[in-house]
Amino acid sequence: MDAMRERTRENLTELLQRFMEASAVPATDRDIQAGERILEAHPAPAPDSETITFIKAQMAMAGLRHHQWRVRVFGGSLATAAAIITIALIGLLGRGPMQGPAVSFATLLPASIWESDNLAADDLELVHFTSEIRQIEAQMQALDADESDTDVNGTLEDLENQLLAIETELWKG
Amino acid sequence: MDKGADLARIIDGCRSGDADSFAQVVDMYAGRCYGYFYRLTGDRDLSDELLSELFMKLVEKIGSYKGGAFESWLFKIASNIFHDHLRGKQRRRKLLDAHRAEVELEPDLNESRISDGSGEKLDRLQAQLHRLDADTRELIMLRFYSEMSFKEIAELRSEPIGTALSKLHRGLKKLRELMEG
Repeated sequence: MDAMRERTRENLTELLQRFMEASAVPATDRDIQAGERILEAHPAPAPDSETITFIKAQMAMAGLRHHQWRVRVFGGSLATAAAIITIALIGLLGRGPMQGPAVSFATLLPASIWESDNLAADDLELVHFTSEIRQIEAQMQALDADESDTDVNGTLEDLENQLLAIETELWKG
Repeated sequence: MDKGADLARIIDGCRSGDADSFAQVVDMYAGRCYGYFYRLTGDRDLSDELLSELFMKLVEKIGSYKGGAFESWLFKIASNIFHDHLRGKQRRRKLLDAHRAEVELEPDLNESRISDGSGEKLDRLQAQLHRLDADTRELIMLRFYSEMSFKEIAELRSEPIGTALSKLHRGLKKLRELMEG
């Protein structure tokens, strides 16, 4: 019997002593040894050589396939990881001192205008048109107040047309 | 180079998909694994199939082997394969009529299915083994063919060491009585 069997024999005796009453250990050990001798005396048949050859061939093919598959999966994962790392590095380096000044379209307009809410004050043409509109509005209010004027309707229409023309011109730029 | 180092080298070869390493594992363990399957099934063709399935599983799972006793790892797979076979057999059995299922379990029929013609002694042991309950039979075979320690066997079977020890004692004692009777 080989070393392994000897080791398990020692292991078994020790176990019996741990789990049984000391007086029962020798008989139990004898029963087990006798049973194992019966098994040793009646060896099971060995597998056919054809079966063994077939299994070896199957394993060789499967091993090759499995290894190739693992290489492909691992290689693919490696490539993906490399791509992610490269993109991350580009992102990190893009923020570094080597990069030129960042382009901001807001810088094309003066900051004072960009932040101002008073559009009329920021553009000279707008100032001009706005003052004309205010003037016409004042004239219209004056005409509305003087209802005795005989040519009120004609004057009002003229003023409205002027106002419309100014607004059209304003939006055309 | 010692046996352990040899085995470690062979297993490394298996992990790399090396055909020679696989062949060496088959040469080292096919006999014991085949004996385990044969003693549990009493059927050579079925044992061939289960053995083939075992070694194909080995190819598939060798990457998950993390060291320790290789025999324990291998026989754990063998035990799982045998149990899967039993579960499949139970499913098939449900489709058959009760009489046919009874006949399949008869030891006499198992004897007649042994086709290796290796003699009366062999047939007699196989027949007597089938008089033991399936769980005890498997425990005896696992202990005998895997040569695992009782601690490893108890872990594999998820039962206390004392229980496994007691079952083995009763089983082997009964087998001796049957063989001598």
